[in-house]
Amino acid sequence: MHKIAEVEIQHDIMVANKKLAQRNQRIFDKAGVFAVDFLGAIGSGKTSLIENLIEKMDYKIGVIAGDVISKFDAGRFEKYGVPVVGLNTGKECHLDAHLVEHALPDLPLEDMDLLFIENVGNLICPVDFDLGSHIRMVVISVSEGDDTVEKHPLIFKDADIVVINKIDIAEAVGADENKMFADVLELNPDVVVIKSSLKTGEGLDEIIKNIQKFMDEL
Amino acid sequence: MHELSMADAIVKTAVDVAEKNDAQEITEVTIEIGKLTMLNPEQLKFMIEVLSEDTLLEGAEIIIEDIPIEIKCKSCDFVGLIVSDDLDPLVPIFNCPECEGRDLEITKGKECNVKTIKIEKEDEDA
Repeated sequence: MHKIAEVEIQHDIMVANKKLAQRNQRIFDKAGVFAVDFLGAIGSGKTSLIENLIEKMDYKIGVIAGDVISKFDAGRFEKYGVPVVGLNTGKECHLDAHLVEHALPDLPLEDMDLLFIENVGNLICPVDFDLGSHIRMVVISVSEGDDTVEKHPLIFKDADIVVINKIDIAEAVGADENKMFADVLELNPDVVVIKSSLKTGEGLDEIIKNIQKFMDEL
Repeated sequence: MHELSMADAIVKTAVDVAEKNDAQEITEVTIEIGKLTMLNPEQLKFMIEVLSEDTLLEGAEIIIEDIPIEIKCKSCDFVGLIVSDDLDPLVPIFNCPECEGRDLEITKGKECNVKTIKIEKEDEDA
């Protein structure tokens, strides 16, 4: 005889990631490391921004480079002599807390002040996955089109700092960086928005100042 | 393929619970997905079907239910469900329906919940 039974599970898969993320943050806090998650589209300037920050910020910095194939970006960061862990996501479009947790033993956290986590280039999937970072920085560029903010609202809702990059070529690509700036604030009145050109260096000091501010507030 | 990792976790959860309950097979699984997750239900369903091959979940009916968006407005204390357009489910979350305020907390709609499974097992009393 067979019996049919209904079993209540009520297991939230998202909560599982969130718990791992909280555990990651406790590890960061214990080691005195401030962690920043960098999100943004492919080619928006996440890697360049992190390179600039490594050069300009007077802290002991480590990097987790997440990508479908991470060795290219990891190689770029290694040139600066900072500890780097490449995280290959393979077919996945985002980092999750579990992947980040696996990278942590390979970083000298006790000897670091700042951890930069470069997420996979994508404005959609990473939104669902907290990594345990203290702040989320979203990097977009004018070459993505000045409607990119309106088209991907949720990523801006959860952001702490938004960088609008490549403003030096805004005119050439026919994009209005001021519209993008206003769109971000419309979605999230509390977020810090900074217009930058990593090519000319414009905005970089303001980005550093704001990361510093978040570090001080912690 | 961000549905893949979620589907993998869903299959593992369902199979794990079924095994603990001495199930011989799972006939039905119900999953709730928040309207604000970046998950596509059809893709998720397909992934679960693929990943459940050769497990207790193989062949089970997969039921996906929506969890609507609920917000709490910090300006006027409105708490309630938001009616969202299927084509543009994200648009309404940025304004309170009562006071148009933008300082909102999203209280529901970001879940991906394995709710129940129906299992078949040997009747111990037989």
